[in-house]
Amino acid sequence: MGKYILKRFLMMLVTIFIIATLTFFLMHAVPGSPLESDRNTNETVQANLERFYKLDQPLHIQYLSYMQSIVTFDFGPSIKDPNRTVNELLARGFPISFELGMITILVAVVSGIILGTMAALRHNKMIDYAAMAFAVIGISIPNFVLATVLIQQLAVNWNLFPPATWTSPMHMVLPVLALATGPMAIIARLTRSSMLEVLTQDYIKMARAKGIKPMRIVLRHALRNALMPVVTIMGTLLAGILTGTFVIEKIFAIPGMGKYFVDSINNRDYPVIMGTTVFYSAFLIFMLFLVDIVYGILDPRIKLHKKEGDV
Amino acid sequence: MKKWLVLFLMAVFVFVLAACTASEDAGTDSSEEGSADSGGEKTLFMNNGEEPTSFDPSIGFNAVSWGALNNLMEGLTRLDESSQPVEATAESIDVSEDGLTYTFNIREEANWSNGEPVTAGDFVFAWQHMLDPETASPAAFLAYFIEGAEGYNNGEGAVEDVAISAEDDKTFVVKLTEPTEAFLNIITNPSFFPIHEATATENPDWHTEADSFVGNGPFNLASWSHDEDFVFEKNEEYWDAENVNLDKVHWAMVNDPNTEYQMYEAGELDVSSVPAEMSEQLQDSPELGTMDQAGTYFYRYNVEEEPFTNKKVRQAFAYAVNQDDIVQYVTKNGEKPAYGFVSYGFEGPNGQEFRDEAGELVKFDADKAKQLLEEGMEEEGWDELPPVTISYSTSESHQNIAETLQDQFKTALDVDVELQNVEASVFLTEQKEFKYQLSRSSFIHDYADPVNALESFITDSSMNRTQWSNEEFDQLIAEAKAETDSAARWETLIEAEKILMDEMPIFPIHFYNQVQLQKEGIEGILRHPVGYIDLKTADKN
Repeated sequence: MGKYILKRFLMMLVTIFIIATLTFFLMHAVPGSPLESDRNTNETVQANLERFYKLDQPLHIQYLSYMQSIVTFDFGPSIKDPNRTVNELLARGFPISFELGMITILVAVVSGIILGTMAALRHNKMIDYAAMAFAVIGISIPNFVLATVLIQQLAVNWNLFPPATWTSPMHMVLPVLALATGPMAIIARLTRSSMLEVLTQDYIKMARAKGIKPMRIVLRHALRNALMPVVTIMGTLLAGILTGTFVIEKIFAIPGMGKYFVDSINNRDYPVIMGTTVFYSAFLIFMLFLVDIVYGILDPRIKLHKKEGDV
Repeated sequence: MKKWLVLFLMAVFVFVLAACTASEDAGTDSSEEGSADSGGEKTLFMNNGEEPTSFDPSIGFNAVSWGALNNLMEGLTRLDESSQPVEATAESIDVSEDGLTYTFNIREEANWSNGEPVTAGDFVFAWQHMLDPETASPAAFLAYFIEGAEGYNNGEGAVEDVAISAEDDKTFVVKLTEPTEAFLNIITNPSFFPIHEATATENPDWHTEADSFVGNGPFNLASWSHDEDFVFEKNEEYWDAENVNLDKVHWAMVNDPNTEYQMYEAGELDVSSVPAEMSEQLQDSPELGTMDQAGTYFYRYNVEEEPFTNKKVRQAFAYAVNQDDIVQYVTKNGEKPAYGFVSYGFEGPNGQEFRDEAGELVKFDADKAKQLLEEGMEEEGWDELPPVTISYSTSESHQNIAETLQDQFKTALDVDVELQNVEASVFLTEQKEFKYQLSRSSFIHDYADPVNALESFITDSSMNRTQWSNEEFDQLIAEAKAETDSAARWETLIEAEKILMDEMPIFPIHFYNQVQLQKEGIEGILRHPVGYIDLKTADKN
């Protein structure tokens, strides 16, 4: 186990290194400069700026100093917004995006599992059809469309929730709903199908025959095995939710990280592009790493196989 | 093994809870503001779109900074209801006979928000800060009218050579290189606002947080939570505080026009822009207001690239464009079609609009277009027109217009043109490198004078980007800048525009406007064709 984790951890570092390097060279390959503006500033000023941001140095020197900035985790000041460092932007935006993402995942997982389980237990009954119809709609509607509809209905027409911004728990309801509906639907469908499969297994029949209470069978025996596929797709869902927050943050005017991520690319704000990309991918890879570990814990069989296969 | 899982889940939970509590604190903040509002205070709810770039007046040179700066600080002059510059921090202004030396007498009662008096030294400090090449202010070029300013800014001269001085605490003197009629207008731009010298010397980051910000305008910066919102409150130290009606202004930062409109609908904003999809539906709304904005949406030819090397071919394409149809059926936002380059909003010495006096210089005429194209092709000896590509920066509205042009060229000239969209930042770079044949452009005035628009096209100007060069035109612009007689200057400018629209390195499509929704009971918000939103006299009933 320990060896497996260590190996995965080292792979993680290599992946981040490759992402960082690719981002750096792609970023510089794209035409346009962070100092380009509609008006021309004079050459002295331009030269001062280039010197300040080290853009006058050869590319390999820039690459080295930027690799150093990753190791020391100090990305320097933003070019577009010189009053703030990239670290400040990350420290400000990330907790908010993280909060939005985590609440969304909690809501999606909990309600998705409940919905899927209910559908499986009432197979081919009203609840099943209703839940699956809901799931299909949830998967088909993109979150940005849902967001606009939610704002219009629940905030503007019915005045139940504030339409945008991120200032109180009430403000969180609509963005979380918009973002969680899709993943929730996916989880509900997965839970339902694997639950149906598990419920026909011999050991469930055995448990029933032993006279264990139905509730206990579902929670202790069936659900545990039925959740394996859900854990498997958690990694993909996480990535989906984290990138989904970009759009949702813009629509709901949530001051998270998505804005910096997108704006920095439009502005060619090199330090911010590098900072957000590396930070985001590192975070994502780390979460996938955690999911993998959890996976091993949940199903002892898999861990054993992997260990044998890896060593 | 189970312990691991439990521990992990607990860790996630603690994280989420910790994050939740942080934002719940933020929630209480805003509810306090809300309750203060119900206590009879007048709070205006505005949207700034995004985080202001900077409240350092030399750096915040864009619309997202100006809207706030123009109300937090004040320069020597300020625009009145008819968009004319009037005395503000300056009580009186003396201009020398040759129009070159301006002496500003600063009001005795003009104070900073910390209670200290605004001095001429604060202006000297701020303007030198703007021109300092180390500051790298994008606004510095506006000050090149001042003697020695350009030299200092491009590193050739010294700060002592800049002809601005404080004769005493309340007398500020400026010497210009040329009589510049628009000078009092130019200095209404926030980059010419004063900076409290003692504060800025002690703390160069004074402008980054609400606590350290010192202003001299109608409002004070009460709070600023970055990327979320900022709040103004009335500045009791302001010399004209008795004419300021609002107690507070709350600025949200909502960057999505649909969300902004929905917040307006839900009563969370008092003023909103109009989302493109809604413009038709809202055009008769009593809450809708339209105002000219000095600026032009136009297309640039590359006159060094065939077929636009030929003047008649350029004219042919220009006359094939039906500007009326574009504003009526494509943009649908109430813009005025442009039959010349200089927009509305500039009155000459005789009280006439520049645009009306200069007349309609290019207007849709399919027959003329067809004929010009034939003549042009004959001149060049072309049997077939070299292929033409229209380039524009990626955006739905630009695309709609480009597609319409494609259709209009086909109808009027029977020419098939290609369309090419390019990401905005790449587009700007490549346009400056003359990589496009025919490309989408826009011009927004930096200061309120027709010469600002026309001087873009003098030889080698960074705003030219067409490779067009015309000695007579350059000469006329230079003459206009040196002219002291208003009427003669006006005539020169009209003549220059005629040359531009005859040689046609560009063709105009429409002039810009400012359209916004405003709740009933909101009054006195000033907007200008060239200028910044002014809440000094705004009121909410």
